[in-house]
Amino acid sequence: MFVRSTSQSNVPHPFISSESTLTHCVHCGEECQETRVSPEALPFCCAGCMSVYEILRSSGMCEYYDLDQAAGVSQRGPRRERLLYDVLDDPETAARYTDYSDGQITRVRLLIPGMHCTSCVWLLEQLQRLDPGIVSSRVDLLRKTVQVEFNIAETNLKKIVILLSSVGYEPLLGQEGRQRGLQEQRVKATRSLYLRLGLAGFAAGNAMMIGLATYVAGSNGLGPALSFMFAALSIGLCVPVYFYAAAPWLTSAISSIRNRSINLDVPVALGITTLFVRSIIEIATAGGEGFLDSFAGLVFFLLIGKLFQQRSFDAVSFDRSVRSYFPLSVRRESRGSIDVIPIDALRAGDMMFVRNGEIVPSDSVLMSEIGYVDYSFVTGESVPVECTSGSMLYAGGKVVGGALRLTATRPASQSYLASLWEQTASRTPRSSYLNFSDQFGRWFTVGTISVALVAAIFWMPDVHSSLNVFTAVLIIACPCALTLAAPITYGTAMGALGKIGIYIKNIGVLRELQRVTTVVFDKTGTVTTSTNDVSFEGRALTKHEEDAIRAVAAHSTHPISRSIAQRASPVGVVDHVVEEVGQGITGRYFCLEVAIGSALFIQRITSQDINSVDGTYVAIGGRIVGRYVIRSHVRDGMKAMVEAIRKQGLETILLSGDTGRDAEVLADMFEPAKMKFHSTPQEKVNRIEQLQRKKSHVLMVGDGLNDVSAMAMANVSIAVTTDTSTLAPASDLVLTSARLVDLPALLTYSNTLNRLIWATLLCTMVYNVAGLTLAVSGILTPVSTAILMPASSLLVIGISVFGAKVLSRRIS
Amino acid sequence: MSVMPLLVVCSILVAGGFLLAFLVATKRGQYDDLGTPAVRMLFDDNPTNIEQEKKIK
Repeated sequence: MFVRSTSQSNVPHPFISSESTLTHCVHCGEECQETRVSPEALPFCCAGCMSVYEILRSSGMCEYYDLDQAAGVSQRGPRRERLLYDVLDDPETAARYTDYSDGQITRVRLLIPGMHCTSCVWLLEQLQRLDPGIVSSRVDLLRKTVQVEFNIAETNLKKIVILLSSVGYEPLLGQEGRQRGLQEQRVKATRSLYLRLGLAGFAAGNAMMIGLATYVAGSNGLGPALSFMFAALSIGLCVPVYFYAAAPWLTSAISSIRNRSINLDVPVALGITTLFVRSIIEIATAGGEGFLDSFAGLVFFLLIGKLFQQRSFDAVSFDRSVRSYFPLSVRRESRGSIDVIPIDALRAGDMMFVRNGEIVPSDSVLMSEIGYVDYSFVTGESVPVECTSGSMLYAGGKVVGGALRLTATRPASQSYLASLWEQTASRTPRSSYLNFSDQFGRWFTVGTISVALVAAIFWMPDVHSSLNVFTAVLIIACPCALTLAAPITYGTAMGALGKIGIYIKNIGVLRELQRVTTVVFDKTGTVTTSTNDVSFEGRALTKHEEDAIRAVAAHSTHPISRSIAQRASPVGVVDHVVEEVGQGITGRYFCLEVAIGSALFIQRITSQDINSVDGTYVAIGGRIVGRYVIRSHVRDGMKAMVEAIRKQGLETILLSGDTGRDAEVLADMFEPAKMKFHSTPQEKVNRIEQLQRKKSHVLMVGDGLNDVSAMAMANVSIAVTTDTSTLAPASDLVLTSARLVDLPALLTYSNTLNRLIWATLLCTMVYNVAGLTLAVSGILTPVSTAILMPASSLLVIGISVFGAKVLSRRIS
Repeated sequence: MSVMPLLVVCSILVAGGFLLAFLVATKRGQYDDLGTPAVRMLFDDNPTNIEQEKKIK
C-alpha cells in the first residue's frame, strides 16, 4: 500500500540524535530491551514501532516526531490479525459506526483509546495523506474519538481501520452501538450545561446590576415607576433561572424525596427555593428588594462547580463493558472452509479456531488434542491450565501456545464471563457518591431544618418575624458553604489527579477513600505484573549448558518452556527432539542430552528420586541439574507502598486466586495470616463481606478484570491498569500501574481534602452569620451586603480550587 | 432620570443579544470540544504540507 520514496530526505530531529536517549525507542519512547535498528540507524523497541515509523517516513510525515517527543503508542505484543477486520465489510456491522452517509460520502466515528498528545491529533487529522479516499478527519482529543469522512468509491471502513492500526492507533471496535450512544449523550449533557450556565450568568449579572441600583438608592427609594420596573425585570430574569438553570438540583431533589432518601441535592434545592420564593414574596408584598441577585449568582456558581465535574468526567470513560475485551470476530469452520464471522453470529455447535493470544469467545469443548489456556483474566491464576481433548474451556480464557479447534457450546453473549459481568452490573447501583450525599445531606438537612424550626417557634406569636427567621436561617446555612465547597474542592481534585494518571469516577470516591480502614490487594496484575520471572535453582550451569537448555525448550509449545527459551537465542541445532505433550521434552544439542519436564517425567528418565513436585526439572546427560521455578514479578516500590499504608494505621490484606508459590516473595510485605491464596472470585467477595460486617471500610485494589465482583462489594475499589483506555466498570478509581506507588499519598490527600472542606465550611458559616447579623442590625449598608454576599461565594471557590491544587502537588 | 428606563431596557436588550448568540453557538456545537482546537493551532503549515494539500485538490 505504501511505496517508500527515496527522494524524501528527513532531517533527524534533536530528540532522535541526542546521545542519552539512544536506548529509548524513537517511536514510543519506551526503553529498548532488544533494540532493532532501522536503515537510518534509529533505535526501535520492536518491529511494530519500526513499521509505523517506516509508514510515516515514506509519506513524509516525520513531523509527527517533532511535535511531541516519542509520541507513539508502543506496538509490542500481539497484533490483531488483518483477517479479523473482514467483519467490517458486513454492512450491518459497518452501519454501527456510521454517523452519516449520502451514497458518496460517508462519515464514521471511531473511538481510539491510544490518542493522547499533539502528535496524535496531527497525524489523525492528516489521514488523507495516507489514503486519498479519505476526505477529512477530525479529532476530539478529550473524548478520544476521530470522525473520518471518506469517499465510498475509493475506500471503505475496513481499509481505514487497518490504516489506523498500521500507524499505531487501533480503534476500539468492541461494543460500538452503546459507545456511540454514550458519546452523543455526553455531548448533549455538556451542551445543556453550557446553556444553563449562559442563562444563569446573564441573569446573575443583570440582577446584580439592578440590585446595586436599588441598594445605592437606599432609603430615598427609586420612585414607584422605576422600582416597579426593576422588580419586574429581576423577577423576569430569575424565573427562567429557577425553572431552567436550577432544574438539575430541583429534579434530583424531588426524585430523591420520592425514593424516600435524602441526597445532597435536597438542601441545595431547599436553599435555592427558599431564596427564590422568599424574594418573590418580599418584592410582591412588602416592596422589599429580596435576594434575587444572590439567588442568580448562587445558581451560576453551582453550575460552574458542575462544569468542573463534567469536564473531568468527560476525560475518562468508565462505561466500557467487558465485551470490548472480547474479540470482534471469530474464525468459524463450516463445510471444510474457514470464514470470519461477527462474534454475535456464533451459535452453539459451531466449530471455531482460536489462535495463540486470542480470547476464547464462548464456553466450548476442546477438539484439538491438547491446549493451554490462561485464565488469569477470569480467576487470577496466572499459570496456564492444560486441557486435553474433550475438556471444557470457558469464555475469557486466553489461548497460549498453538491454535486450538473448539466447538462452541453456547452463543457468545451468554457465556460465563458475560454472566459474571452482568451479575455485577445488575446489582443495585453501588455508587459511593450516593452514600456520601445520603449521609452528608441527611444530617445537614435535618440539622438546618431543626435549627430553623426552633428559631421560628421561638418567635412564634409573631408570624411575620418567625417566617422571616425561618427563611433567614435556611439562607445562611445553605448557599455557598456546603453546596459549593465540597463539589468544587473534589471537582478540582479530580481534574488535578486526572492529569497525573489517577482517574476518579465521581467526587464521592475521594470522600469514601478517607474513611477506608482496610486495604485489600489482589496479586496478579496489581502487586505483581502479569508476566512471570523464571528462575533457575540448582548447580551452576556453564554457558554452553544454558544454551542447550534454552535451545531444547524452544522446541516445545508449552508456556513454561516458552518462558525458559525466551531469554536468549542460542545458535546451534537441536536434534533427536522427543516431546511428550504436557509432560516434558528431550533433545540433543552439541552432544548434550537435555531433558526438561515435570518431576515425574524427569524421574522416569533419570531414575533419580525427586521429593518435591513443584517446578520444571532439567536433566543433562541423565543427571538432574536443577529446576526452574516460576515466580511472579513484584512491581517496583510495592514493599514501601504497603508499609506506608500500614503506617497510616490501615490493615493490609492480600487475596489472590493464584497458587501459594509466591508466598515467600510476598512474605516481607504481608503478614502470613493476612495472605490468602487459591481464592475463587466468590471467596473474595465473601471475605470482603466478612470484613465489612466487622465494621471495616474496605478498599479493594485489583486489576479490574478478574475481581469485578469483589470490587463491586468493597466500599471503594481501585483498578490498576497498564493502559488507561481499558477501564473497568466496577471500579471507582483507575490508576496507571506506575502510579500505584502513590496510593499512600492519595489516601493522605483525601484526608486533607476533607479537612480543607470542613475548614472552608466553618469559615463561610462564620462569615455568613456575622454578615447577616450585621446586616439585620443595620450596621452594614445595603451596598456592602450586595458586595459581601457574592464575595463569600468567590472566597469558597478560591479556597477550594487553590487548596485542592496545591495539595495535589504533594502526590507527584 | 427619565432616561433611566430607556437605558435599562437598551442595556438588557444588548446583553440579551449576546446571550442569544451564545445560546445559538452552543446549540450548534461550538463548545462541544474545547480541548482539541488548542492543540490544533500548534501545527505549522510547512511547505510539504501545503504542497501535499495542493496535490490532493
